[in-house]
Amino acid sequence: MSAVSTATVAAPASVSTHGARTRRLARNLDPILIIATAALVAFGLLMVYSTTRSTPHPFLYTRSQLLHIVIGVSVGIVLIAVDYRTLASASRWLYVANLGILAAVLVVGRSSLGAQRWIPLGPLGQFQPSEIAKLVIVITLAKHMADRPGPYRSVRDLLPFLGHVALPMFLIFRQPDLGTALVYGAIFAGMLYAGGARRRDLAGLAAGACLLFPVLWHLLKEYQRRRLMVFLDPSLDPLGSGYGIIQSKIAVGSGMTWGKGLFAGTQNVLQFVPEHHTDFIFSVVGEELGFAGALLLLGLFLVWLWRGVRTAAVARDRFGALAAAGIVSMVAFHVFVNVGMTVGIMPITGIPLPFISYGGSALMTMLWATALLLNIGMRHQKIRF
Amino acid sequence: MDRESFERRLVVLFAVITGLLAVLSVRLWQVQVVQGDYFSRLAEENRLRVTTLAAPRGLVIDRAGRPLVANRPAFTVALLPTEVVNPQQEIPEIARLLGIDAADVWQRFAASRGQPFQPVRLRRDVPKTVVAAVEESRMDLPGVLVQVEPVREYLYHDLAAHLLGYLGEISDADLRRLRADGYEPGELIGKAGVERVYDRYLRGRNGELRAEVDAMGRLSRTLRTIPAVAGDTLVLGIDLPMQQAAEAALGDRLGAVVAMDPATGAVEAFASHPALDPNLFSAGIPSAAWSALLRDPRQPLIDRAVQAGYPTGSVFKIVTASAALQLGLVTADTEFYDPGYYNLGGRIFHDNENESFGHLNFLNAIAVSSNVVFWTISRSVGPEHISEYAHQYGLGARTGVDLPDEIAGVVPDPAWKRRVYHQPWYAGDTLNTAVGQGYVLVTPMQAARMIAAVANGGTLVTPHIAVEIRSPSGQVIQEIAPPPAGHVPLSPQTLSVLRAGLSAVVTRGTAASIQIPGLAVAGKTGTAESAHGKPYAWFVGYAPADNPKLVVIAMVENAGYGAEFAGPIVQRVLETAFGLTPAAPPAGDPKP
Repeated sequence: MSAVSTATVAAPASVSTHGARTRRLARNLDPILIIATAALVAFGLLMVYSTTRSTPHPFLYTRSQLLHIVIGVSVGIVLIAVDYRTLASASRWLYVANLGILAAVLVVGRSSLGAQRWIPLGPLGQFQPSEIAKLVIVITLAKHMADRPGPYRSVRDLLPFLGHVALPMFLIFRQPDLGTALVYGAIFAGMLYAGGARRRDLAGLAAGACLLFPVLWHLLKEYQRRRLMVFLDPSLDPLGSGYGIIQSKIAVGSGMTWGKGLFAGTQNVLQFVPEHHTDFIFSVVGEELGFAGALLLLGLFLVWLWRGVRTAAVARDRFGALAAAGIVSMVAFHVFVNVGMTVGIMPITGIPLPFISYGGSALMTMLWATALLLNIGMRHQKIRF
Repeated sequence: MDRESFERRLVVLFAVITGLLAVLSVRLWQVQVVQGDYFSRLAEENRLRVTTLAAPRGLVIDRAGRPLVANRPAFTVALLPTEVVNPQQEIPEIARLLGIDAADVWQRFAASRGQPFQPVRLRRDVPKTVVAAVEESRMDLPGVLVQVEPVREYLYHDLAAHLLGYLGEISDADLRRLRADGYEPGELIGKAGVERVYDRYLRGRNGELRAEVDAMGRLSRTLRTIPAVAGDTLVLGIDLPMQQAAEAALGDRLGAVVAMDPATGAVEAFASHPALDPNLFSAGIPSAAWSALLRDPRQPLIDRAVQAGYPTGSVFKIVTASAALQLGLVTADTEFYDPGYYNLGGRIFHDNENESFGHLNFLNAIAVSSNVVFWTISRSVGPEHISEYAHQYGLGARTGVDLPDEIAGVVPDPAWKRRVYHQPWYAGDTLNTAVGQGYVLVTPMQAARMIAAVANGGTLVTPHIAVEIRSPSGQVIQEIAPPPAGHVPLSPQTLSVLRAGLSAVVTRGTAASIQIPGLAVAGKTGTAESAHGKPYAWFVGYAPADNPKLVVIAMVENAGYGAEFAGPIVQRVLETAFGLTPAAPPAGDPKP
């Protein structure tokens, strides 16, 4: 394979027509990944309805989420049709445009809960660039690492990649969006590990990050510091920042083994849990569908991640393989931090549960990440006839 | 890096991911299965109640700071639908206790389905004895809440009722329009008068009490309190003693009185009769009583000063005279002969009771209000010019006063008649219009603004009821001084003839009966024929005649002569305003 320097690119049979080739490629689409994604999206839609149906407009949020699914899938199909290596060649422009948009958010962004994360798009609503920026960073870092294939013999060999990620990460950190900035860290670590960085070099970078912590702590906003402190001891502030954690645990725990039944969650209806249709949607899954429903959802994520890892393994070139590994790292980190937050083992950082949380930008980003995985998998080296 | 080591690393990556998900699963098992009972119990006890803390509505005070509208604390009985155990039994019982219609309670109960945790108000301003009875039956009435909420109090009852307005529960249409501004279902909103126009200043901002309550509905701990912010204070240009004088002078008759500062347009007295006590609406009005009001032939809900148009009779001669003078068709000394009738191509127009004024000049024609003279000059002025000057005086257009649902009235001309009636304009129409009859419809507020323009030298002011908005702590937030709407192009000569004529009306003309010792009053009477009975009586005036400080107008429906029925009202308001009433009654006490 190509993650490897001795790339043997199997040229497609030149006799085949374009249409026949497209059909052949389409046959290579990973059905398990598609089914897992569809199941996750359907699950999410149901939960969004459950969490927002007792508002004055019961279908308002669900309809918006559905609209974003339609747009996300439509654009995703286009993304699948175009060879993913086109993205690699556009990498430089993507990176610059990404930085530009993230900088623009700081200037014109709309504030939500004390943070500037939104760019208003007039009648189209608003757009959260830090979501799609995650995917852009995966693509551009994969291209960067493919261009510098290593071997990476020291921390110094990793520094160009660190710089690559640090710049947008800093912009997002300033929004401030601590959670998303940490996602970048996870993407960086996952891709570098898969790409061949030595364990001791990665450990060295991690140690460096820890040394930076006091500086970062100083840069955090007051509410972010409070959230982190409250995570260590929720009883510090049971009515303020600790309130969400406590209420979320009560919601999840009271679901017990089989849950209170879909639409029957009292903590959900009572709106005890803040942000319960976005970041805390898993607490409603836990409450209404119980341990069984929670495991089912985690199982779906595991299947999805498995197919992502497999895509990385079969990719025809180093760029595709690393992009797939980056996407897997990104989604895994989201799931762990988000679910961990609702059961009190991770701090509240405000990152959504992929495919499930209400929010168009995040949902479409996840659908396009899936499209990219399908694209990479579909064009792997052995084309079945 | 070779393929094998890459795949090995992917295996490790996937193992780490699986491990993380396993950690989550173990934690979920711990929270949901092991500790499930514990958290279920917590969830059961976890009852959140969000109570709206109603903001005290802003006060309305007169120009001297005398309160006209205030608030008093009162009890509201509400229902929390989710805690009602047995509605079949409970709802008729609570309706009986509160003395309200059970069907109404059922309807509100059913409408709350979407938000079962929001209390639904059943009755505001519940008397203490009823509250005591509700408290006694508390055990049998789970979900019934007694809250303390301020109730609007109109201190002088029906005084200035149309101007002040009243409150009512927000309508669905208003709610759709205003939801973005934070209006909530069930909220009280200004429905008329300044209560409606300045609602967003007066309403303040409701607060919120988020609290956990136990299974009995008792407060166990407060989670968050957002205090209510009181509404702003509205300062009116109204002068309470003058307002009381205006209403007393109008008495039981149907009509309107407006007093206004001709320089600024600030309204100092504003009466429309009949009026209702707005306190009736403060706690919600039963629908039967409401439909009775709508059917009342005296139409007490209509604000006669801005929402109704009337023929003005001879008051309109101010317009016709302005046009004739300004066009150079007459001067003060132009001589006319008034035989008591006017012959329009064989059709005879009779003046009142065929009274003949004989030979007289134009100034005296204004003073004695000779219809024959004005019919004569109207032919040379022409309907277009009459209409043009009427519009310049602001007739036929809303004055822009800060009151809702103002009407524009009618200034007819040939084009208007063709458009509305599909009929040609006749010479008789010109004659009728010139003396404020026929199709002319003018609101009392428009008449006040017109006479103000004569008084102030031609400026068409924008009348306004409110003069200032103050914060609850008394700081001025906004001064209300709308710019003039235009300027009536009157030459100094025209103005001086007009003013001399209007002074002569009082010194030796139709309104000689309303002279006030020590105060030179100028004005014009109007007696407009009505199809519905006796004529509409008008008087529009200002004082002092040489340096006008105040205009006052009165209109009385179906009463008789302007000088006899409207003039004395203006006289009495002016006496009060200028402190010329030695035997003035004490400025009435606010009825508690």
